[in-house]
Amino acid sequence: MPPSLWRLSWREWQHHPWRHGMALLTVALGVALAYSVHLINVSALAEFSSAVRAANGDPDLSLRAAQHSFDDALFERVAAAPGVALASPLVEVDTTARSARHARLAIDVLGIDALSIAAMAPQLLPHPAGGEDRFAVLDPHALFLNPRARELLGVADGDSVELRAGARWLALRVAGSVAAPGPPLAVLDIAGAQAGFDLPGRLTRIDVRLAAGADPRAVADALALPATVRVLPADDAEQRLSNLSRAYRVNLTVLALVALFVGAFLVFSVVSLSLAQRTPGFALLGVLGMTARERRGLLLGECALLGLAGSLLGLLLGAALAALALRWLAGDLGGGYFPGIAPRLRVGVGSALVFALLGTASALVGGWLPARRAEAIAPAQALKGLGDAGVRAAPLWPGALLLATGVLLAFAPAVGGLPLAAYASVAALLFGGVALVPAAVQLLLDALPAVQRALPLLAMRRARFQRQTASAAVAGVVASLALSVALTVMVASFRGGVADWLDQVLPADLYARTAASSAASEQAWLPPGFAERAAALPGVQRVAASRVRPLQLSPTRPAVALIARPLPQPAQQLPLLQAPLAAPSGEIGVYASEAAAALYALQPGRTLQLPLRGRDGAAVTVRVLGVWRDYARQFGAIAIDLDAYRRLSGDARINDLALWLQPGAGVAEVQTRLRALAGDAGLLEFAATPELRARSLAIFDRSFAVTYYLQAVAIAIGLVGVAASISAQVLARRKEFGLLAHLGLTRREVIAVVAGEAAAWLAAGTAIGLALGLAVSVVLVHVVNPQSFHWTMRLLLPWPPLLALCAAVLVAGIATAAFSARAAASRAALLAVKEDW
Amino acid sequence: MKIAPTMPQRAGGAIGHHARVPLLQLRSLAKSFADTAVFSGVCLDIDRGEFVALVGESGVGKSTLLNCIAGLESPDAGSVSLDGVDVPALDESARARLRRERLGFVFQAFHVLPHLSVEENVALPLLLRRRPDAARVAEVLDAVGLAGLGRRLPAQLSGGQLQRVAIARAVVHAPALILADEPTGNLDPATAERVLSVLVAQVREAGAACLLVTHSQAAAARADRVLRLTPSGIDARLAVAD
Repeated sequence: MPPSLWRLSWREWQHHPWRHGMALLTVALGVALAYSVHLINVSALAEFSSAVRAANGDPDLSLRAAQHSFDDALFERVAAAPGVALASPLVEVDTTARSARHARLAIDVLGIDALSIAAMAPQLLPHPAGGEDRFAVLDPHALFLNPRARELLGVADGDSVELRAGARWLALRVAGSVAAPGPPLAVLDIAGAQAGFDLPGRLTRIDVRLAAGADPRAVADALALPATVRVLPADDAEQRLSNLSRAYRVNLTVLALVALFVGAFLVFSVVSLSLAQRTPGFALLGVLGMTARERRGLLLGECALLGLAGSLLGLLLGAALAALALRWLAGDLGGGYFPGIAPRLRVGVGSALVFALLGTASALVGGWLPARRAEAIAPAQALKGLGDAGVRAAPLWPGALLLATGVLLAFAPAVGGLPLAAYASVAALLFGGVALVPAAVQLLLDALPAVQRALPLLAMRRARFQRQTASAAVAGVVASLALSVALTVMVASFRGGVADWLDQVLPADLYARTAASSAASEQAWLPPGFAERAAALPGVQRVAASRVRPLQLSPTRPAVALIARPLPQPAQQLPLLQAPLAAPSGEIGVYASEAAAALYALQPGRTLQLPLRGRDGAAVTVRVLGVWRDYARQFGAIAIDLDAYRRLSGDARINDLALWLQPGAGVAEVQTRLRALAGDAGLLEFAATPELRARSLAIFDRSFAVTYYLQAVAIAIGLVGVAASISAQVLARRKEFGLLAHLGLTRREVIAVVAGEAAAWLAAGTAIGLALGLAVSVVLVHVVNPQSFHWTMRLLLPWPPLLALCAAVLVAGIATAAFSARAAASRAALLAVKEDW
Repeated sequence: MKIAPTMPQRAGGAIGHHARVPLLQLRSLAKSFADTAVFSGVCLDIDRGEFVALVGESGVGKSTLLNCIAGLESPDAGSVSLDGVDVPALDESARARLRRERLGFVFQAFHVLPHLSVEENVALPLLLRRRPDAARVAEVLDAVGLAGLGRRLPAQLSGGQLQRVAIARAVVHAPALILADEPTGNLDPATAERVLSVLVAQVREAGAACLLVTHSQAAAARADRVLRLTPSGIDARLAVAD
């Protein structure tokens, strides 16, 4: 195509700068949102991985305990094994720390061998503070904190820090620091860790550096390790972290692509109407020798340039947004996968290229159909005004086929743990729905009674006559409204599910716990007999104690949470999905959470080996009697009766208490008595049920806050599409509006006619958007969520906000159309009827 | 701008000598666009039932004059009186109502709305006045030779038929004055002649006055009077010879 033809495009853009500028900005906004979310996740993951690498050092192999710990006699054998150049023993503990200001902080504690750690993990090497003895690193009472731990605990060298160790607090001295970045970390001498955390003669990990040329698999095989020890490759922790957060990161990125998706519809609107205006010009060029393919190529080239320019702007905006978000949100967009880090922005050329291509592709997708129409222009007829590229009725079958395809894709399974088919289903449903807007306009208008008043007649007739143009005008609104409805329903269903779940899992009035996580609960339990003494306190009606601990069911997955609590009536006490099975005689029954059931195939009736016996976690066989809904533990949980657990494991410890209070008893007073009973103000964390419920829902709302923002952006883009479409139509129909003015319509009446047409299209578009949104919400609730996060929920339709949303979009759309139609009653319209102007 | 008679007046009385108040009176009308004078000092009287043709070169301001008469443009000076109503003094809504009630329009490019049927197009002036009258619409369609075509869409009609639809729309509400802006400009001579005959007949039938802007000598010949707009400087006046 001759380069000189690009002048035509440049003239078009100069002549309609706002219209094309709006489309460019929309692409930029879409790319910015998606790119910023991607950068935040990548930066956070990279920072967290970096922290993990710093904490793990640079071993070739890592030998880890399958459960708890293993005999440290293994270390000598490993260190002396052929092919092993260096072995570093470690004790790892998740626990709680507190400082003189009684701050409670979840912290990782590493007991290290200072003589071997320098070579294996230099960032874990303790650096004694000035004034400390040079052998402080060997002092079992000396603690070395990383920067994050120092900051959060608010301590300086020489201060005291206490670490929770079972039923007591271990007082240590801050003797220096370690350089390891990332979440709070404390390092002390391995002997001190073994003594302090009741792990004499035990290790949790041995890092191994192999000799040059040694084969890792051969070395591991030769070690003939016991079943209580597993061998992991060097990058296992990073890979596991990436896998854990992948579904969340992908879902969030797809959500952020909503704006880009809606932007494609805006590009479709702008280019369609630009084509309608330029048809005579294209017809003339066709007569003069421009081929059909060149016409198509010209329009697609314009879209590509628009998309590329928008993408470049979007990349800059996105990087700026990400930088701001990392500063304010510190990498946590609500999923909680990357706590306690302050990541730096990491921008890669590869990802920037991908998002630039996505933005350009969205513009090309939006411009494809108009470009095909430009190709199909019959030049001679179009010059006479007899051919109208936009009025030809589109067949129904493409839209119907897309809808059917969308429905079928919703039944497809996940791919690599990601609901890719479900995403494709959503896209197919949306495109199919938009394609059927003209048919919906016709249905809607056919259902209305005949009118004999001029303004409604003009508006309805025009709306019906140009219903093919309706797709271009309202496509963005349909898509954005559908997505907004879907997200509203999904969030409402989820929130309703969480609220109902909270009501069921929080039956007591007050809850007390020793640790914030199941991992930390291994180092924090209540004194023996505490539950019985608590039950006897004034104001306490009854107490239910429970034991919470991590349980490793698979070496490649995070630990599940084992919850041992009294379960005399599991059907009432657990939010079971179905009635529980009866336990066969002589067997112990357990109840798996949805996530556990999905990840480990724990269907009711299956048996399961639980590593419960002894320190090494010898397995006991239990049977799964039911599956329960759990929104708190994404990696799975298993509930078991407390007495059964104690019989199987011999572990009589408890971590948590649920307290039912006497009528009229004050929560604060009971808390005070419990603290006094514990004798340690920092032993227990308390939360009253209303407070727990409110806090949980606040966390939920904060997690989904970004979706509300994305909905608003998407709807705004849709309305911009309406404005662009109506403005372009007004320009194209100047003669018609001039005629109406001659016939005696006032300026307001002319605008009312345009607004009336837009109202008909928007009414159809709103109806389709609502219906599509409900269909998409079914996919989100029943397919995307289970396939991504392994939890289910009931579909809840919040009609008042949905109808309010539809009404708001309809009103805003009509107002936008009326505003854009002001030029319809301008002098230019009057003059347009005259052939000689 | 000067308007001078180019053809002998037809029988019906000396031009300008009227026993009753003219339907349309223009006095010292002047209009400029961006410091460029279009016309000035224009004076014109048109009586009820009178058929006046206005000829002149392209761009001389004929359509602007029609716009001023219709209240679509405001003159810079002078007055426009339509059936005793001072048009420039009206606000925008009142002018629109005036057009609905008293004026009919026929354009060179037909301007028939493509999304309305023939009868709906013709009925528009009646609907705007909120007085639908299907019988009147049928009567007028029959009078212009389009009986039975009321349900058709404009895309199904020829150019001549479309112009007859426009004529029917212009007379259906019995306006006092019809403004026709080169109504035969897009038609072949034979069709133009037939359409012109219909226009003249309907104007006479309705008892309306008609101001016809045309390049066609044949069309001008059908008028009671023919006036010419000529470029003679900004002081030129529109003159009506006795």
